[in-house]
Amino acid sequence: MVGTVLIFDPTAPCQNEPKHLPPTLDDLRDKVVGFIDNSKPNFDNLVEDLAELLRSRYGASRIIKRRKRLSSHPAPEAMIKELSEQCDVVITGSGD
Amino acid sequence: MAKRGPAAVAICSTAFAALGRAQATALGYPELPIAVIPHPFGSRTRDEVRQLAEQCIGEIVRLVCEAGPRDSSVVPNRSSLTERAALIKVPGDLDGLYSLFRERHWGDGLPVVPPTTERVERMLCHSHRAATEVVATVAPGFGAATIERIAANAVLAGCDPEYLPVLIAAVEAVAEPRFNLQGIQVTTNPAAPWLIVNGPIGKRLGVNSGVNCLGQGTCANATLGRALRLILQNIGGALPGEMDRATQGQPGKYTFCCAENEEMNPWEPLHVERGFAPECSAITVVGGASGTLNMNTHAKDADDLLRVIADTMAHPTSNDYWTGGEPWLVLAPEHAEILKRAGLSKSDVKRRLWEQSKMPAGRMAAKDRLRTGDARRAELGEIGPDTMLPISTQPELIGIVVAGGPGTHSVYVPTYGNSRSVTRKVVCNA
Repeated sequence: MVGTVLIFDPTAPCQNEPKHLPPTLDDLRDKVVGFIDNSKPNFDNLVEDLAELLRSRYGASRIIKRRKRLSSHPAPEAMIKELSEQCDVVITGSGD
Repeated sequence: MAKRGPAAVAICSTAFAALGRAQATALGYPELPIAVIPHPFGSRTRDEVRQLAEQCIGEIVRLVCEAGPRDSSVVPNRSSLTERAALIKVPGDLDGLYSLFRERHWGDGLPVVPPTTERVERMLCHSHRAATEVVATVAPGFGAATIERIAANAVLAGCDPEYLPVLIAAVEAVAEPRFNLQGIQVTTNPAAPWLIVNGPIGKRLGVNSGVNCLGQGTCANATLGRALRLILQNIGGALPGEMDRATQGQPGKYTFCCAENEEMNPWEPLHVERGFAPECSAITVVGGASGTLNMNTHAKDADDLLRVIADTMAHPTSNDYWTGGEPWLVLAPEHAEILKRAGLSKSDVKRRLWEQSKMPAGRMAAKDRLRTGDARRAELGEIGPDTMLPISTQPELIGIVVAGGPGTHSVYVPTYGNSRSVTRKVVCNA
């Protein structure tokens, strides 16, 4: 015969409350697009190519590119503040 | 228009898309749009990257303009920082219990001790802090490590009740921002926290500092390191293959714990070097990257010994050289004695090793030299093939402990690099 025992669940739910992101844009015409390059190999090249396409094909008015010193550290506060203040959309990368 | 911040899109390669999604959710942005590109990405040629940009630009623009967040789907988190750990009814037999733990991914693959209310309460007697007090929220999943949850995981790992204060200090230490737990938990690197115990608590709990101190056979070493791993996995949410993306990992991810052999250490012990009184107990956590690299040498002369250790430290695939890191050495008591007898202080040893382990950047792969240039330009200026890279930004960042038994084996512990070790006092008042 097998009974039951009471144990503690060793896991923990996430403590970060879900937050809303700003709503999407109608289009990219005359918009400022920011990139945070995560400094992983080739991401700088991808950023360069996407920036060119966003300007030539989708009408973005300005591109601001910033690069992290190390991929495994968060982007510095000053970089986030600058891009938040100046951009309509920010694109970044994660992983290899 | 009201300032609401910019829209945001992340780009992940296929192998990291699940991590990107889990991480965005854990950070509170479950709706973050993610554009997925084929993996591997970093090794593509310049032309292939151009083609990829062409392929994914449409999707990125669609995510910015059409598929982004709407205002309805975010469900508030029901948990609160003061909640008790959940109690659950489980099968009373060990086979049933082990299958349940395997099914829920609550362990490390080895059998566990059931964290019954009695066992957890017995452990809680060894801390004066409230069971629901939050010691830290643990990256990358940001679960709250309450005293009670730390105790539950300690029981799970097989710890004796009096080990609890060591684990509370360890959780405080890994949560310090300079340890960079976020990076260590999700990286492809094999990084694992190495727990070093100093002061009287080491002897009291029986933490091995001598023969085979980084090997098997001692309850405290085996279960303290294991409990820290289970906390990182169960509370921090770094499940292997999901948020924990280690390419291979390392055996130290099961347990990586020892005490310093203070009796055989000819210099001040680690915690005293870091400003604690000798009679104080403290733990240090180190972001160890590759377990240990054995350095067997019969050198009897300090210069010869330093030369071969420095030569071992210099390797071109090291995160320490890439980032300007914090490499560690576990010196065998016999090796430490040779250095001490030559009149060298611990600080002298660090400086000599720092100078002698400088490595030409040209030994690195070209791509690694470029990223080293990005990471260390502010420190070293432009980095060419002939630039001599120091292993850390300062000699003091080379960590040294003396541990182990008789023998001519010291070990090198390369580190994650983007992490700094943290020492915390262990508070025992039970």
